[in-house]
Amino acid sequence: MALQVNIKDILSQLSQHRGVVEFLFANRENITVNELLAREDISHDQFQKLKSLDLVYEYENIVSLNDAVVSMFEDFMEIGEVTPGFINDYINELNRHIRFYQESRENRFLRSIKKYLKRINSTLTREIIKLQKNVDDTYKNEGNYRIKLQKLENFREKRDTIIDFIKKTNDVVESTRSLFSLTNDSELFGIVQALKVSLIENLDFLIEIQTDITDFINKIQFQLDVYKKAQQLKEIKDYGTLYFKSNFKEIVNGINSIKYNGHRAPKTKIAIDFLYSDDGHVLCKRISEKYKITRLMVRGLADKMAGNFKDKGLEHQIKLDTEKLVERFLEQKKSNLFEYLIEYKFPKAIGIVSFEDRLSLFVEIAMEYQNQLDFKYRLQYHDYRNNEKQNKRLGYTLILPIKEKAKKEKIKN
Amino acid sequence: MLAEDFNLPKQTHEIFSVMARGNFISSNGSKDGMNRLYDVINNPDNFDRFQAYFNVIRYNIERGNNFFYFSKLGEPNSELEKKLERFERYIDIVDLLASMDNKITIGSRFRPGEIAEECNANVRLKQKLQKIPLYRSETLHNKVREICDLMSRDSFLEMEDEKTESYKVLDAYTYLLDVINSVAIYEDTSLDNDNASGLIYN
Repeated sequence: MALQVNIKDILSQLSQHRGVVEFLFANRENITVNELLAREDISHDQFQKLKSLDLVYEYENIVSLNDAVVSMFEDFMEIGEVTPGFINDYINELNRHIRFYQESRENRFLRSIKKYLKRINSTLTREIIKLQKNVDDTYKNEGNYRIKLQKLENFREKRDTIIDFIKKTNDVVESTRSLFSLTNDSELFGIVQALKVSLIENLDFLIEIQTDITDFINKIQFQLDVYKKAQQLKEIKDYGTLYFKSNFKEIVNGINSIKYNGHRAPKTKIAIDFLYSDDGHVLCKRISEKYKITRLMVRGLADKMAGNFKDKGLEHQIKLDTEKLVERFLEQKKSNLFEYLIEYKFPKAIGIVSFEDRLSLFVEIAMEYQNQLDFKYRLQYHDYRNNEKQNKRLGYTLILPIKEKAKKEKIKN
Repeated sequence: MLAEDFNLPKQTHEIFSVMARGNFISSNGSKDGMNRLYDVINNPDNFDRFQAYFNVIRYNIERGNNFFYFSKLGEPNSELEKKLERFERYIDIVDLLASMDNKITIGSRFRPGEIAEECNANVRLKQKLQKIPLYRSETLHNKVREICDLMSRDSFLEMEDEKTESYKVLDAYTYLLDVINSVAIYEDTSLDNDNASGLIYN
């Protein structure tokens, strides 16, 4: 370090220039001094200050964050490169500190032990995730066969190394069990417990990776073999000896896929009834256009039915009935029109005729058949309950069937 | 027995109409929801039901490595002449694809242009391509296109993007490889052995 610095200075510098730090962290390799100084949030002096604190480096006009800062961020966010070497270092350090702790039971050694146990745990997991990803990527994306095989081989070695580390870690944890239980430290206990669980888990992952690698290698091998075979077959085929030097004929004969045995997909005739439907008409029209047959184009589509055609049908029916209804009403003499309509039992086909419908029917008949009706111009009252169960009273005009005499008079008028 | 008794998934018709045409259903096919259909068949419960159901009409579902197809029960395999002709053609095609620098296998993506380009630069490949019979196209590019088209119709390839003309090799391609692999060559044809080093791992 160029200057004697303390945490306070570093923190205040970092937080003062957090925009710059974030920027440099994101673009680690390719920021020039001019680019950086073009930003509004840093002046030349401030840049010099950062440099003097060794928080940033400048080399051949390229600015970069201090590696320590970068790796702090990376460690904290668990990103960035890790290599099996790290794990080895951690295990050595762990062993060293355990020895120290065995010598003298001081808390500072215990703290380091905890630190390294935690680090081993997180690094192992990251390493395995990375391995898995690399194996997958290599199998799927590496175009060159030989390189692919080589890479997968390397991953296999790497996997073995990691398994070694897991075993080592396990040994360390096992052998220090009595020592750790002496410390009576619940945090340490928790860390060891978590580490053990994740060691077992990671071992499982590694076995899976191993199966993947083997599987991939075998697949590649199979494909290589097949391609070699294909080339050989092609060669003897070119010599015209394919049928004689191989069992090609028998193999092909034994192929049972329906595609190669002349089994056609089942075809069905179109049902006549379908042709009469509207969909069938569309089909006919298409065919007629294709083959220019006018005969098929004669029948047109029916117009679209109105959306409310069902309601219309109902009204229509009621209307049809009104004439007969009026006739029947005229033939009887017991009740007036209103009472007659309210009491009337409509045929079931119409469905339920509500009170409101009967009322509108009453008004309709009164208006349309006024010549055949005797209007008394007297009010009568009808009591009923509406939907909300309130008692209501309705006044209506008394209308009676016209009497024969009156009828004649009315016609005369 | 009624069709309802089989308790079939609703994709049954779709599956039948694909496979009865002689096509394969591959797990990595994406057109027309092919991977979905694959998953439906691959479900062990469904598979048994399908098998029982289709066996009634004498179709048998055959399972390959990540693909399915139909065979017919109790019918003699016929049309040997045509079959031989087709598979000879497949040998030509697989041989061509296998000779590319960037070997084309299951899951690979490629464009006909790439293959044509490589064939153009390599006399051996060019000869191979030109010798594949049955095609009328003149230019190398069109010829490769026609091969791709043919392989797509046989559901070994799938066109992924029409604009860039990129194709993907489906799992059903394994079927061809399996057929080729099962052919035994009687005599030791003294071919050069440097193509693949015999790396076999456990």
